Amino acid sequence: MELFLMTLTTGVMVGGIYALIALGWVLIYKCSGVLNLAMGELTLIGAYVSLSFYTMGVPFLLSLLLSLVIGFILGILTERIFLDKLIGEPVLAVIMVTVGLSFFFKGIVELIWSTDTRVFDPPVFPLEPIRFGPIVVGQVYLWSFIAAMVLLVVFVSFFKYTRWGLAMQATADDEMAALSIGISARFVYAAAWAIAFMAAGVGGTLLGNINGLNISVGYMGLLVLPAVVLGGLNSIPGAIVGGIAIGVMQNLCGAYLDQYFPGGVKEIAPFAFMAIFLLFKPYGLWGWERIERV
Amino acid sequence: MSTTYLPCGVYHENYQQDHAWWQTRFIKSKMVLLFFFLFFIIPWVSDAYWLSICNLIGYTVLGALGVQLLIGFCGQVTLGHAAFLAVGAYVSTLLVLEFPWPPFLVNWGLAYPISILIAALASGVWCVLFGLPSARVKGFYLILTTMAAQFITVDFVITQYVSQIGGRGQAFSLPPGTIKLGPWTIDSDIRVYYMIIILVIVCVIGVVNLLRSRVGRAWVAIRDNDISAEVMGIDIVKYKLLAFFVAGFIGGIAGAVWISSLAAISPEHFPWFWSLWLVGVVLIGGAGSVHGTIFGSIFMVVVMELLQMAVIPLADTYPKLLVDFLFIKESAFGLAICLFLIFEPNGLAYRWWQAKNYFNLWPFSY
Repeated sequence: MELFLMTLTTGVMVGGIYALIALGWVLIYKCSGVLNLAMGELTLIGAYVSLSFYTMGVPFLLSLLLSLVIGFILGILTERIFLDKLIGEPVLAVIMVTVGLSFFFKGIVELIWSTDTRVFDPPVFPLEPIRFGPIVVGQVYLWSFIAAMVLLVVFVSFFKYTRWGLAMQATADDEMAALSIGISARFVYAAAWAIAFMAAGVGGTLLGNINGLNISVGYMGLLVLPAVVLGGLNSIPGAIVGGIAIGVMQNLCGAYLDQYFPGGVKEIAPFAFMAIFLLFKPYGLWGWERIERV
Repeated sequence: MSTTYLPCGVYHENYQQDHAWWQTRFIKSKMVLLFFFLFFIIPWVSDAYWLSICNLIGYTVLGALGVQLLIGFCGQVTLGHAAFLAVGAYVSTLLVLEFPWPPFLVNWGLAYPISILIAALASGVWCVLFGLPSARVKGFYLILTTMAAQFITVDFVITQYVSQIGGRGQAFSLPPGTIKLGPWTIDSDIRVYYMIIILVIVCVIGVVNLLRSRVGRAWVAIRDNDISAEVMGIDIVKYKLLAFFVAGFIGGIAGAVWISSLAAISPEHFPWFWSLWLVGVVLIGGAGSVHGTIFGSIFMVVVMELLQMAVIPLADTYPKLLVDFLFIKESAFGLAICLFLIFEPNGLAYRWWQAKNYFNLWPFSY
């Protein structure tokens, strides 16, 4: 029972980070219809940038902020250089461009920072765990979860209450109508990419704090795909629930199934789950069901 | 009809003429020249290094042919084809190494060819298994399930379980002389080259023939609009699964053939990168054309080799470059896909068609 509770808590906390990254993914899809397969590399870039600032001696919060700024710039550049030219192209072409981007970014990250595992040194969060009754939680997890939740709230309220956020919502809802009331769709696309870069960067930084930072953090960024499929591709609450659910499921599988199927159950389980889930409920929990006509 | 040139414009009188393979004497003689080029001139002029590159090109063509079939002709995007190559390679290796063959089969050198066939069938069935979701989902969702195929097959089943068979550890070594094809032992690049080139020709001819049959037309109809295809009475589930089977079959052949030029196989030979590489080859060559696959394979392999050649002289001054070449390659590959999709979405096959048209209509092309 204690094991169950502990894996559950860890799962929820890691899932919070996934939810943050998944939010960025859903945002791009909602606003511009781009199905982004480069999310893993976006997490990597943000994480490495903030790690570099941190090792230079910049305080953690400030380096996180700086990585947000750089993520913002990179997001806008990526959209303007690559994605902007693909508006109206077939879906497959756009997806494959994001795949190409993912290789491009990954190669550059490996060139600059090499493939060795790096850690935040000195550790950002204190190492001794916190006890809640029988449950023991590492402080890294707790703080990461809190940070992810705060940012989720910030992003969601950005959508609900600010002018830019409302413009983005309007474009996501009906692009033609949004254009007719003077919202610049190109601006919205660029903003969506910038926000996705920022969310992924924060997510990557937090993930890097947990296990150290190497290329496999990019793989964790890929885990947003099962999360968004579970929640439905264009649903923001779905992304949050999906992220947390995937985190929980991953940790439960790691704790309970590992003895039956030794090896990488923890890494594979989300993808296996996703393949089966798609067979039964392809539009996720809250996604829009598209009705097609000839 | 056996004319020397086709007139400007289409003057076919029946479908047989329209679908004929080699419509003019000119094309026939081109094909004979190509045959001589492939079978005599290339082995004659190239040294071991270039032969190994030719083998790599052949392997890429075989692997990408299945992807081309799925993406270019049936519209089912796959991002996990390396998994099916891996299934083919592993089934064939395990059969050659572990299966208690009757001695006469081994003596006649039939063990390996039979294993190729079984590997191709197994890979086709495995591919159908992961193609099953295509009955219900399409587009992006199908991309995700094929991605899952890659992770489940290579990173989980093969790495964790298949590699344990026989207690050999992670890599299965193939001692020289294990792989025999009839009376020949496949132990040099030149023999691998002949085997691969024959298989490439057989597979390409097979696929092209399949594409001009009822099956191929059904696939193209599904690609263009699956709902109207269904309305027209095409059993789309059946034909989609058939496409997955054929693609997996060819992938299995590719994997099983490739083991003949390797000293050992391990899961690292079939990473996710390789799946995407195959898709990149198809897109750069031009989706929807079989010769585009070949152009794409040649282009990608040769460009990467040239890149390597460019890096080696620089290595004296920047030794780090040599270590980081893999990363440069990755970046260059990603950038190449992006640029091709943005500026040349129809791929190299379209340029080829343009050039051909220009000369066909010369001097009155406009």
